[in-house]
Amino acid sequence: MLANISSSCIKGIEGFLVSVEVDIAAGLPTFTLVGLPEQEVKEAKDRVLAAIRNSGFDVPLKRITINLVPAEVKKSGTHFDLPIALGILSASDQLGQSAREKLKDIVFIGELGLNGKIHSCAGVLPMLISLKKAGRSKAVIPAGNLQESAFAGAEGFGAKDLKEVVQMLESQERFRAQECAEKEEEAESGLPKEDFCEVKGQALAKRALEIAAAGGHNVLLIGPPGTGKSMLAKRFAGILPPLTKAEALDIMQIYSVCRLLGKGKTVLRRPFRDPHHTISNIALIGGGQIPKPGEVSLAHNGVLFLDEFAEFSRGSLEVLREPLETFKVTISRAKDSFTFPAKFTLIAAMNPCPCGYHGSNVKTCNCTPLQINRYMSKISGPLLDRIDLTVNLNPVNYKDWQQKSEGETSARIRQRVIAAREIQKERFKNSSTTANAFMSVAEIKEFCPLPPGGGEVLELAMKKLGLSARSLDKILKTARTIADLSASRDIKKEHIIEVMQYRPLDRKGVSDI
Amino acid sequence: MPLSEQEKLALLKINSFSYLRADWANRLLEIFGSAENVLKQDAKTLSEEGKISLETAQKFLKNAAALDAQAEMDKTFKVGGHILFKGEAGYPQSLANIKEPPLALYVRGKLDDGEVPSVGMVGTRKVTPYGRRACAMLAEDLARSGVILVSGLARGVDSIVHTQAVKNGKVTWALVGTGIGRCYPAENRELARAIIDNGGAIISELPFDAPPLAQHFPRRNRLIAGLSRLVVVIEGECKSGALITAKMALEQGLDVLAVPGPIDSPQSNGTNMLIKQGAAMVLDARDIIDAMPLNVKFGLNTKKLYNEETLQSDSFTESESALLNLIGQGSKTIDDLAEESGMAISEIAGILFNLEVSSAVHCSDGKYSRNRF
Repeated sequence: MLANISSSCIKGIEGFLVSVEVDIAAGLPTFTLVGLPEQEVKEAKDRVLAAIRNSGFDVPLKRITINLVPAEVKKSGTHFDLPIALGILSASDQLGQSAREKLKDIVFIGELGLNGKIHSCAGVLPMLISLKKAGRSKAVIPAGNLQESAFAGAEGFGAKDLKEVVQMLESQERFRAQECAEKEEEAESGLPKEDFCEVKGQALAKRALEIAAAGGHNVLLIGPPGTGKSMLAKRFAGILPPLTKAEALDIMQIYSVCRLLGKGKTVLRRPFRDPHHTISNIALIGGGQIPKPGEVSLAHNGVLFLDEFAEFSRGSLEVLREPLETFKVTISRAKDSFTFPAKFTLIAAMNPCPCGYHGSNVKTCNCTPLQINRYMSKISGPLLDRIDLTVNLNPVNYKDWQQKSEGETSARIRQRVIAAREIQKERFKNSSTTANAFMSVAEIKEFCPLPPGGGEVLELAMKKLGLSARSLDKILKTARTIADLSASRDIKKEHIIEVMQYRPLDRKGVSDI
Repeated sequence: MPLSEQEKLALLKINSFSYLRADWANRLLEIFGSAENVLKQDAKTLSEEGKISLETAQKFLKNAAALDAQAEMDKTFKVGGHILFKGEAGYPQSLANIKEPPLALYVRGKLDDGEVPSVGMVGTRKVTPYGRRACAMLAEDLARSGVILVSGLARGVDSIVHTQAVKNGKVTWALVGTGIGRCYPAENRELARAIIDNGGAIISELPFDAPPLAQHFPRRNRLIAGLSRLVVVIEGECKSGALITAKMALEQGLDVLAVPGPIDSPQSNGTNMLIKQGAAMVLDARDIIDAMPLNVKFGLNTKKLYNEETLQSDSFTESESALLNLIGQGSKTIDDLAEESGMAISEIAGILFNLEVSSAVHCSDGKYSRNRF
């Protein structure tokens, strides 16, 4: 007897439909699984047979052949257990006529325990989303993944064990999706406890981070140890605008594949990823035998904070160039290529020299100019080109620190950021761009005209401060955000002048006196 | 006396090793008559006659044999440079008179050999805001009045000196610690080109491609002194290259002048010590011109001095002067200025930009300091 059960599989972060074909024929009892299964799929044999037995059904003592269609694509994941088990039950005549009818238009996803319990598994959300696109919205999924069906807008049935699934199939009632209370938690609850008002001084850096949050710009903080680089970066998440539904869904798809989506948890805040500087290229960018998203994709729609930027290996810094330019990562294999979204805001922090104290007035630096040069040149030109705002931080000494006034609270800064984002939403309503930093060349042309007098400012900056011409686009994008923050319709001359403050590395070593 | 082509090649070979000890190289030349003759000797003869160790003589011959002198010539001509040989016309007279004159001098640009008003200006690479101001002021005044500024193209004081000369379209000579085929530090490449374009010169005694080794720099300091009529030390610690130049200038019988500095500033330790030991104190450019020998002083335009001219041209708005006052003598970050003035960052950024492009202030590592008062 032959049975055909629908299931799904993940490729990159997208799902595709897989048919599980089960054939049971007379002969010596064997169990063959074909269709390029990975190790964990092959092991389904032992789980499935035990689960069938322990759920009170019979394991047919015949030749069992299972094929996963399309057979030329590698399949990974443990969620084929449930469709295989149902296929065996159906092919061995242990299901009734109505159950077999129902099987046809339901997709099954779930990992089985030896006792027949259904465990939650990775990647359910992206599978459901792509199934829905393909017109298959009815799905039986692990009870633990039920929340994900709500996000996907699919009709999900959360099953606890194999027996329950069979009962559901055998019952006379029509397939009914289980209601899942969509938790409308306050988005504010996801904000970090740390507040910007705790950081005294560093007005320039705070302003730069406000601009970065408002326009999605990348920031490089350079300063001696103890100047509050990490402190500022940690608080950055607290001034980011709230996630839109579409953005949250994008993030959750990636999280689902990486098993980071907790049971019933939703993503409420923008991700903040801070990998250690010993991270490998693959862990940062994504990849592996079966390509999985890396840190840059986990930071999608959020923040990637790289502390001790210059200590990262040259290789891992250079791989950042692609996602910073195209906002996605493409991993190519001989047979296939995988694309992961990676639209993040980069916050990088580094010391100005190997000893850390160059330019500090607290401790003298004992590095030679050559060492300092070498240290700074660890960050390559093309990478610096993708950073819009650079700030030199200086230590605040204790006396000043005591006197300095408390800064603004994160909540107030966030209000301004949200207002600026509203303007941008209106501006980009007909395009896929979400913030100023992600504008295309055509959009820069359209939305960032040089103000009267702006050309002269740039010319002066190039002539006197040694500003390079290739940073022009970035200056315009950043000026656009500064204009949005001050609710100005047009970019003004002063906005361009302010951007000059955030480009210290563009300047020549020897300045004209 | 014109030298034969063969002799020139032999001199280059000897020079490629002897820049470390030009005194005995000169002695060998005297003993054996010509460079070609020196190279014909074996190590034993050289060591016995020339009173150098056998080991050195062997090393010397090996090194001389290894250098492709013709390639040195070709490379130099290819970049538009030329090589001056000691004893030939064009070789600077003042350099021939020092204790260890270089046998060959690689030059890119134009080098005068006569009596010219040249002043060596040297100082630390880690220049303070005060040193920057003082150096810029003195260098600009001297350049405008027609003095040829001589320095070493290093970071800090040297770069400021050359920049000021180039900015005013004047001649300046840079004696570098590498071969002239290289530029160290690399960020001064444009400055080096500007020096040549303005009628100045990049000069070195080292082989064309010599790297910037530590031992090269103290040696080239004697050339800075050698090409100058007097030496001014802007800022320098007690143990610094600038003080080595001062010492060599004194050995060569030149006047050494020093710019006084704060007594607690490490960069002024050396200059203050020089003054204490009797060096003349520099308070403005006129002090330097006054100290120059009479034969070269003639024709210098001392009327166009800095202070008189620039004081009138600087006019600041109220907020600009307020910020300048806050910056004061030292350096301030934009954060300090925001805190002290109560202005918003965006506002201060605009004012500082105007001040910076009008060259009233200077920014390094995020700290602003004034260029002049």
